[in-house]
Amino acid sequence: MSSVCLNIYNKILLRNVSYISCTVRKQSGYVLSVTLTKKYAGIDITQSNPREFCTGRNRYSAAGKLAQNQKPDWNKAVSEAEKIVGYPTSFLSLRWLLSDEIANVALHLRKLVGSNHPLLKTAKSLLYNGRNNMQAWGLIVLLISKAAGHLNVEDMEEDKAAGVLHSQRALAEVTEMIRTSHLVHKGMVNIYPGLYPEPAILNDMTFGNKIALLSGDYLLANSCTELAGLRNQDLVELMSSAIRDLAEGEFVGRRDQQNNPLPSPDGVSDAAEDWTLRNVLSAGSLLGKSCQGTLKLAGHGTELQEQGYKFGKHLALAWQACLDLEPFIAGSQYVSGSVFNLTSAPVLFHLEHDPNLFSEIDKGAESVQNVDYDKVHSIVSKGPGISQTKQLQKKHSQKAMEVLQVFQESDARTALSNIIVAMGDL
Amino acid sequence: MHTQQPGSLPDYRVDPYRLLEDDLKDVYDDIREELRRNTMEPELRTIATYYFDGQGKALRPMVAILMARAINYHMYKEKSGLLASQRQVAMIAEMIHSASLIHDDVVDQADFRRGKPSVNVLWNHKKVAMAGDFILAVASMMISRLQDDDVTITLSQVVTDLVQGEFMQLGSKETENERFAHYLTKTYRKTASLIANSIKATAMLAGADETLAEVAFQYGRNVGLAFQLVDDLLDFVDLKLGLATAPVLFACERYPELNPMIMRRFQEPGDVERAFELVHKSHGLEQTQFLARKHCIEAVRQASSLTDSPYQKGLQVVTDLVINRMK
Repeated sequence: MSSVCLNIYNKILLRNVSYISCTVRKQSGYVLSVTLTKKYAGIDITQSNPREFCTGRNRYSAAGKLAQNQKPDWNKAVSEAEKIVGYPTSFLSLRWLLSDEIANVALHLRKLVGSNHPLLKTAKSLLYNGRNNMQAWGLIVLLISKAAGHLNVEDMEEDKAAGVLHSQRALAEVTEMIRTSHLVHKGMVNIYPGLYPEPAILNDMTFGNKIALLSGDYLLANSCTELAGLRNQDLVELMSSAIRDLAEGEFVGRRDQQNNPLPSPDGVSDAAEDWTLRNVLSAGSLLGKSCQGTLKLAGHGTELQEQGYKFGKHLALAWQACLDLEPFIAGSQYVSGSVFNLTSAPVLFHLEHDPNLFSEIDKGAESVQNVDYDKVHSIVSKGPGISQTKQLQKKHSQKAMEVLQVFQESDARTALSNIIVAMGDL
Repeated sequence: MHTQQPGSLPDYRVDPYRLLEDDLKDVYDDIREELRRNTMEPELRTIATYYFDGQGKALRPMVAILMARAINYHMYKEKSGLLASQRQVAMIAEMIHSASLIHDDVVDQADFRRGKPSVNVLWNHKKVAMAGDFILAVASMMISRLQDDDVTITLSQVVTDLVQGEFMQLGSKETENERFAHYLTKTYRKTASLIANSIKATAMLAGADETLAEVAFQYGRNVGLAFQLVDDLLDFVDLKLGLATAPVLFACERYPELNPMIMRRFQEPGDVERAFELVHKSHGLEQTQFLARKHCIEAVRQASSLTDSPYQKGLQVVTDLVINRMK
């Protein structure tokens, strides 16, 4: 999702909105002010319980301020990188906001406020989860586009100021839409008989699922249309296979009743392999294929395209390892008892070393909420899982860094390496 | 009885399903195979292939192949086999349709579909949603392998239309005047677009020019609209109200008291019964039937501009099949 969109979406979601206007820097540089008053007038969404999205993955407060210990390097690396490729997404994104469908979703989201539907959580984490920010994925695609340059392209197709092609910008947007769509679909609730005996609650949850499903489908449909418009069938196939991989990722291994993943005893013979399979499907494939695709659009040969894939894949995996580490690193604001991913690298590595931990993990077979997270946290913290995860992160960071060496020195290449370095620092 | 020569059959005797038996017999097997090849996860395979059990009518693949063959004959006469790419489009149409059914099932909490428990009853809703995404992704990969930019654009329009149709179904705030237009647009997007655009894609793959592709498109659009109108009529007879469809919208003109019931989606006690009574007293059902017929006549008119062939005849028979569901 573009940052322009996010900012407005954010306002719609979390403030009492009677008037919204936004300013967009167009590719040509002039400033365009758009008033959305009419469409969103009267939408009045108040903030719900801020605690609701302080999970282990996310330590940003409800007001969207970064937590105190956020190191400045990351933000600096990202914001400088954004300058290099111009605003990270295209003006086209505004079309979303002006579309009836998204206005519709905003209206319906209002009805869900006060209910417990995780769609609200998903919407908020899209807005505030700084490090896992969607915007950063599109940004990476644009940076590698600029770092690689392009061959045999007509002037018309280039955004001169940013040094990327319009088609590459569209692809970056598609990457963000696909990822957002997936997160929104993942944020549905599995409703089964007896889960909500209260009819009013059942009603809310069913409605929330409907909105989540439709919003995700809307983004997916838009991705298809955008991709089709690029008139490059190899690219369509590549990106469609990334959508396929994301869907497949949700079927890997043992799951609780809400489809949260649990480590499987048979997967742990090789923790690194198990972790890699899960995360290539759910993250590496999309970023890898997007980076590959953008080099394809630029007219580069298959060899360089493959390097692009490697870069994106390793970067996404390094990124994931970094996120997995978050609840375990010194100085982290791990809130005692809060939920973290049981298939995160530190836990999987620990299980490989000490399968006894399964006795606690298995309590989550029906719901991961039933696991004693303090206990798992303390056991894993004392074991080898954390240092192994740091190694894993380093390995993928290095591999991504190696790929960068094939490109000539440029501000975009420097920005990418700064991002990798900043991530290692976190 | 004398032996009937091909082409000498009386029009009403052409059975498009028999005519296309060879083309259609492996469509579901091939779809299942394509889906299976794209994942190693057994549960994903099971859910994704669940509705491709060969029990469906395969209306969409049938109409797509029928038009493909009619167009091929129109353009190339006897030297015109079905192209592999056209058959792919028939499969793709059915896949996009099923992906949307699967998502509908989760949203509508249906218990049964096609005579068996629906997907949302049997599996985790999140997995079902993902299986729908998966089918769409595989269909999209198949589209890309046709290596035709314009066909890809045409078929991706279908996906957009389907979602926009769903969104239209969410809202009912439009005024009385707009309501019928809203209903028809929604019907086009949710049902007719898929048939019209997949048929158009088969024509494009045959090398049809814009005029000919438009004939194919308009045929599909009209058949699709008629199909949905008849569907809504049958649903009405079964008292499945809730959404304002043609029979009620027509009846509204005579009995404005239906308006508030539409707005509250027939949720108050007695609404359904009263609406049912009023629609029967008005000419709502007949008018719906009339509108469906009108679209079928237009479809036949479009088809009649193609060269005479068993397939072209078949296109006319399809409109009879659509209308005859009403009887």
